Amino acid sequence: MAIHSVRQRIIFLFVSLVVAIQVIALGLITTANQQVARDSSTAALQRGERIFQRLQQQSQAQLEQGAAILSADFAFREAVATNDTATIASALRNHGARAKASAMMLISLERVVRADTLLPERVNTPFAYPDLIKEAEKDGKSSATVSINDVLFQLVVVPVLAPDPIAWVGLGYQVDDATARELQQLSGMDVTIASAGSAGAWILHATTLPEPLKADLLRHLQARGTLLPNEIDLVGETYETRVTSLPTGAGNSTITILQRPLAEGLLPFQRLNSAFFWLALASVALTIVGSAVIARKITDPINRLALAADKIHQGDYSSPIVVEQQDEIGTLAASFDQMRDGIASREKEIRRLAYRDGLTGLDNRAMFQERLEQVIRIAKRGGSYPSVLLLDLDRFKAINDTLGHPVGDMALKEIGQRLVGTLRASDSVARLGGDEFAILLPTGDAAHVGTVARKVQTALEAPIVIEGQSMDLGASIGIAYYPLHGEDVTALMRSADIAMYVAKHEKSGYAVFDPSYDEDRKSNLTLLGELRRAVENNELCMLYQPQLKIELGRMTAVEALVRWHHPAKGLVGPGEFIPFAEHTGSIGIITRWVVAAAVEQCGYWHRAGLSLRVSINISARDLREREGLPAFIAEALRSNTVPAGLIGLEITESALMEDPAGALATLERLHALGVTLSVDDYGTGYSSLAYLKELAVNELKIDQTFVMGMESDRQNLAIVRSTIELGHNLGLSVVAEGVETEFELRALTRLGCDFAQGYWIGRPMPVDELEAWLRAAHPA
Amino acid sequence: MIQSNIPRSGVAIAAMLCGVLLAVSQAPPARGATIAAHVRSPAGAAIADAVIYALPAASLPLPKPTLKIPIEQIDREFVPYVSAVQTGTTMVFPNRDPIRHHVYSFSRAKTFEIKLYSGNAPSEILFDQPGVVTLGCNIHDWMIAYVQVVDTPYFAKTDAQGGAQLVNVPPGKYELKVWHPTQKGGGEPQAVVVGQAGVAASFVLDVAPRKRRYKPPLDKMHY
Ligand SMILES: [Cu+2]
Repeated sequence: MAIHSVRQRIIFLFVSLVVAIQVIALGLITTANQQVARDSSTAALQRGERIFQRLQQQSQAQLEQGAAILSADFAFREAVATNDTATIASALRNHGARAKASAMMLISLERVVRADTLLPERVNTPFAYPDLIKEAEKDGKSSATVSINDVLFQLVVVPVLAPDPIAWVGLGYQVDDATARELQQLSGMDVTIASAGSAGAWILHATTLPEPLKADLLRHLQARGTLLPNEIDLVGETYETRVTSLPTGAGNSTITILQRPLAEGLLPFQRLNSAFFWLALASVALTIVGSAVIARKITDPINRLALAADKIHQGDYSSPIVVEQQDEIGTLAASFDQMRDGIASREKEIRRLAYRDGLTGLDNRAMFQERLEQVIRIAKRGGSYPSVLLLDLDRFKAINDTLGHPVGDMALKEIGQRLVGTLRASDSVARLGGDEFAILLPTGDAAHVGTVARKVQTALEAPIVIEGQSMDLGASIGIAYYPLHGEDVTALMRSADIAMYVAKHEKSGYAVFDPSYDEDRKSNLTLLGELRRAVENNELCMLYQPQLKIELGRMTAVEALVRWHHPAKGLVGPGEFIPFAEHTGSIGIITRWVVAAAVEQCGYWHRAGLSLRVSINISARDLREREGLPAFIAEALRSNTVPAGLIGLEITESALMEDPAGALATLERLHALGVTLSVDDYGTGYSSLAYLKELAVNELKIDQTFVMGMESDRQNLAIVRSTIELGHNLGLSVVAEGVETEFELRALTRLGCDFAQGYWIGRPMPVDELEAWLRAAHPA
Repeated sequence: MIQSNIPRSGVAIAAMLCGVLLAVSQAPPARGATIAAHVRSPAGAAIADAVIYALPAASLPLPKPTLKIPIEQIDREFVPYVSAVQTGTTMVFPNRDPIRHHVYSFSRAKTFEIKLYSGNAPSEILFDQPGVVTLGCNIHDWMIAYVQVVDTPYFAKTDAQGGAQLVNVPPGKYELKVWHPTQKGGGEPQAVVVGQAGVAASFVLDVAPRKRRYKPPLDKMHY
């Protein structure tokens, strides 16, 4: 039997222990009892034997006495003295009957039979048992068991005294079942008297045994003679057996068999055994019940704990574990409950972190998408028509650039609060990243959505005042309705995104998605199209800003910066079109164009013997396409035969933080190419040291806001110093951006910074200008 | 042979002497010689209570017995244990005990029975056949006495020394016989010739010791 539960095991253990003890005890008791029973049976038999012998002596004495009284009877003596055979025979018969003898004989002093009531033909023949007379001569009486024609007699011989013996008289008492019964009554044992008959076969003359046992005993006698074992089986029952031989007048062997059923001796012990058996059974039953109760007490709370653990496994942390016991299990349950509490609160925290935007406390992109999915699911069942509003702040980049990130962050927080304030509780607001927000309205018609959009605009148009500075932010809002503008999360978001860019482009405040905003129309309508055209028409050009390797005092690297010669607007800086390109997903085109141009230039320099590392900026969106960009870069390196080490890729810290897991994987691939990876704008993205350690990057670029403030702000100096130390400790080289004074360069040199970049070193320059500049800076 | 530690031993001895005197005095005085017989065992021990009697070889006129010979019962015993009488003697059985006795004999020489009595026996018994008469008491199994009835007046019983004197035996030829109640062998009859001077005879007799049967002691009432 396989035992799977603690309860069964406990019960099994207890019960098997008790059963084992009882079985051993029962075995011992039974063995002991049987020994005692045998001993006592043997003792009883021996006692019986002695009693039997005494009884026999007594009965013999009684017979002899009777015979003596008879022989002393005057009339009898007188009759004997007459010497008249007929008279003597008659007297013998008469007096024999009086003495209850079944055979009488008179024997002369010459030992010749004078009369015989049993066998008259023996008259005048010598007496068959002369030994009896010899003994009687000596003792005045004698007796023996004799077999006459296979009938057993107790023969007593006494003299007829007048007063000297004048004859011998023999009295025969037949030994039969009555004799045996008499002896049995007195001795309490089965008595059998047997002798070997004249024909050699054994004869049972007298017995108290019933018929079938008698036959069995006879069989034993025929087989073993007088050498019967101490225990013999009679019809299936064991009898303790003792054999004694009886004195006989002739040579035949006559024996007395005393018997007692062994079971008789065992009977009281059997009663004891059965009492013990029931007692054992009762104790086993009690043990089963008791151990079941104990086991239940142990296993019930364990089962409850197991159930609770299973619930936790399934994610249900809400049910408290209730075990009232005060013992170890109670303690275990209490700690288990604490653990449940801990897990619940930690999971809550994890969920909060996973679905919350750390800065504003609003939902993050993931949470927003989940909620949207849920709302769409509900809407699909019918009745409701949710809508999505995407917001992009119009002038946030400028605030960030001019007032710094801390101010920008505070502005974002403020905007979050304003958005929440304008919405119903059933609506939800999320910050998707950067200055992008989204609103989900689970219900409401177009009019309601329009109202919300206007309310949001109004709320955001109110100036934001932070540290005494007033800012005008304003936002462009793109709106998409379910199911009109998309039946799933991606489609809806995309529609809202397009609508938002339309609104931004047209500076209309908000725009509802329209299917007419297809790609062609858009390319005509939007900057997107212009960007594409710029790429196609080669309106983009590259500037290179030198980086000073401080240690060597030489320019060993340049950062490639893209510029747009807009046909109408003139030269446009990357800050004005790169974010747009990122939002519209066309950044990939620009990045590829930049990579191709920069790698080609690098190869040109390389072949010309000018060893300049060229750093290219990569956006967060570029990182999202895991395979494409690394493959494109690898191909560019190969086709221009540029060593990977001469190419650097710069990724902003905030881009890394937008999708840390995705960034990690793409960085691994880029790192595998052998290119140098730099973290751009370091210090603005709140990235943790631990995260940084995991990224396969080679270089940190300290954000220019820290470098430019070094001279006036000791705190910025400290940040720069600690960043350099941190970078070095992580085995990274450190680049300082925005170096605009000699003081800053000296300070950086003192702090052990590896590279310096900025207007103090050299401004971004077209290729030919740079080449000339380099020749001037490093005359050969 | 006879108890001497009982109160009536004196009476017993007197009676015995009296019997001897009577037996002696019944013969004619100084008419014959004496046969001095002696009986001993093969080992040479004296044998008492042996009866010696002389049977005349020739038919002689013999004197008839005239005296009544007693066998008393004293202290639940027959006294004497052994008697010899001439055929034709009358015997009496006086009871000297305070209790009754029942004297009987199943002997062929004389079968008789005197039922319970006390004092002098109600009947006298004539012993008219020669032979041994064994007397018993039906009350007291141990009581036993022997009477040798002989066809001659010349008999005597050996004393403790084994000697016996047959007196006043007329001269002549006799067959001298010996008898003892427990004899086993020996004691062949002897032919003797009695002259004036008398003769001596000696017998060797194999005798079993007397086996007394158990006699219970008297109770407080002397019964
Ligand atoms: Cu008597």
